[in-house]
Amino acid sequence: MRRKKVCFVGYGSTEYSRKSEAPVLWYYAEAIRNALRQTGLHKKDIQGFSVTTQVSPDYSPHVAEQLGLEVDWVLNGDYGGAGGVMSVRRAADAIEAGHVDLIVLVGGNSFDRSTPQQRLLEYQRANYVDVYGYGGPNTLMALIQRLHMAQYGTTLEQIGKIAVAQRENALNNPQALFRAPMSFQDYLNSRMISDPIRLFDCVMPCSGAECVILASEERTKKITEKLVYLVTDAERSHFQVANMLPDKTTFGMKVVGERIFSEVKREDIDLFEIYDDYPIAVMIQIEDFGYCKKGEGGKFVEAHDLTYKGDFPVNTGGGELSVGQAGLAGGFLHIVEALRQLRGEAEGHQVQKAERALVTGIGWLNYGRNLGTTAALVMERRK
Amino acid sequence: MAEVSLPKKSLPKINKVDESYWKGAAAGKLLLQKCKACGKLQFFPRVVCVDCFSGDIDWIEAKGTGKVHTFSWVRVPRNPAFKEDVPICYINVILDEGVIMESRLVGKGIDNVKLGDKVKVAFQETHDPGIKLPVFELAG
Repeated sequence: MRRKKVCFVGYGSTEYSRKSEAPVLWYYAEAIRNALRQTGLHKKDIQGFSVTTQVSPDYSPHVAEQLGLEVDWVLNGDYGGAGGVMSVRRAADAIEAGHVDLIVLVGGNSFDRSTPQQRLLEYQRANYVDVYGYGGPNTLMALIQRLHMAQYGTTLEQIGKIAVAQRENALNNPQALFRAPMSFQDYLNSRMISDPIRLFDCVMPCSGAECVILASEERTKKITEKLVYLVTDAERSHFQVANMLPDKTTFGMKVVGERIFSEVKREDIDLFEIYDDYPIAVMIQIEDFGYCKKGEGGKFVEAHDLTYKGDFPVNTGGGELSVGQAGLAGGFLHIVEALRQLRGEAEGHQVQKAERALVTGIGWLNYGRNLGTTAALVMERRK
Repeated sequence: MAEVSLPKKSLPKINKVDESYWKGAAAGKLLLQKCKACGKLQFFPRVVCVDCFSGDIDWIEAKGTGKVHTFSWVRVPRNPAFKEDVPICYINVILDEGVIMESRLVGKGIDNVKLGDKVKVAFQETHDPGIKLPVFELAG
């Protein structure tokens, strides 16, 4: 659906760390503080609050209490890696419906081991995968990548090009954990994790948080001159769930893309912040969105420059592959990077024409298929 | 001094939904769910037919044969207890009944496994004498 009156007011990030054991609550607070500072807002302006995480027990009401937030709307935005986009959609609904006028959304993770892990990631399906020595997401994506390579002739050079281009984007992004140049040979030589998935196909888990503030147009205009609108958004959970012979190389993003591109034109998107837990996932989403036919993603990435200077800029800050994945903050990283670009604040990696961005989120591994949650949104800068 | 407890290989946490499946496996049978209302087969076991939503579900014995749909050599298993087995050939099998099943390929000749190879089920013993895991071998 085409959004009319909801804007992104601002954003805040924390530093990413592989070592820090600061509590996850500290990370939320830091990201929110930075967003408030950017927008000149105060804690009392927060009317609604959403948190996306896997580490804080009780989620949003608990976290709101810890942070001293008295709010009229809360959300546990845990939809896996699609949690960023899907939480933004629900917050926009609440603003459009008039429940609240301004919502702060945060996603974060930390390695603080004193926070009790009260909610175990124990899926019913664990009975049918973990018993065989499953390697988690790495194995799931390996099964998909092998099939894509076998069915469509996709090569490691084509898949690796995505990781290499994203690293180039990260070189000038101070937030990125990985800022050393990476060649295709480096990619190819990285150690095998779950063949054909290599180390440099994988994200680095870390501590960190991202915050986004969403408000009505009217409210936004009082806060900032940089008007970034949420234009359209869609999601699909459990695509092909009742199909016992699903196409593993097509995600729910195919359905999401059909909805998105019934509202905006494919060629009007200037930059692509595509959830990149693995390069192959980026390639499949490009196909699902119809930028090329299914199976031609390899040729497509070969034919385009994916860096921030290129004709098809993808994950312009380096994405989760080069910045790091702070748990479910990964689904917010792409939204925040799109905002940096559209507001002209992506110093060192700014896309020249950045008016419209496509942002995606995918998550929630499922049995025999691929991803449980898929979502996307388009945002637009208007003068 | 207390013994250091090493991680154990994961076993299913058998519940009401999949009790029949695991009993079948312990007896050397690979069971699938079949919806009595619409006739569709499904795996893994659930409380409803994921196609027509009927709760009236039966069990049938699968032939136990199929072909390799895709596979991965796992070097870093989620549960470290499996490290002694790496690389593990983790597979998706398309059973002859037309259902995808995730499992593990074991036995002779697996180093040269390819997509489309024919496989047949085998039942692997675990550290719990009451539980056997349906795994697959290459069908000669």
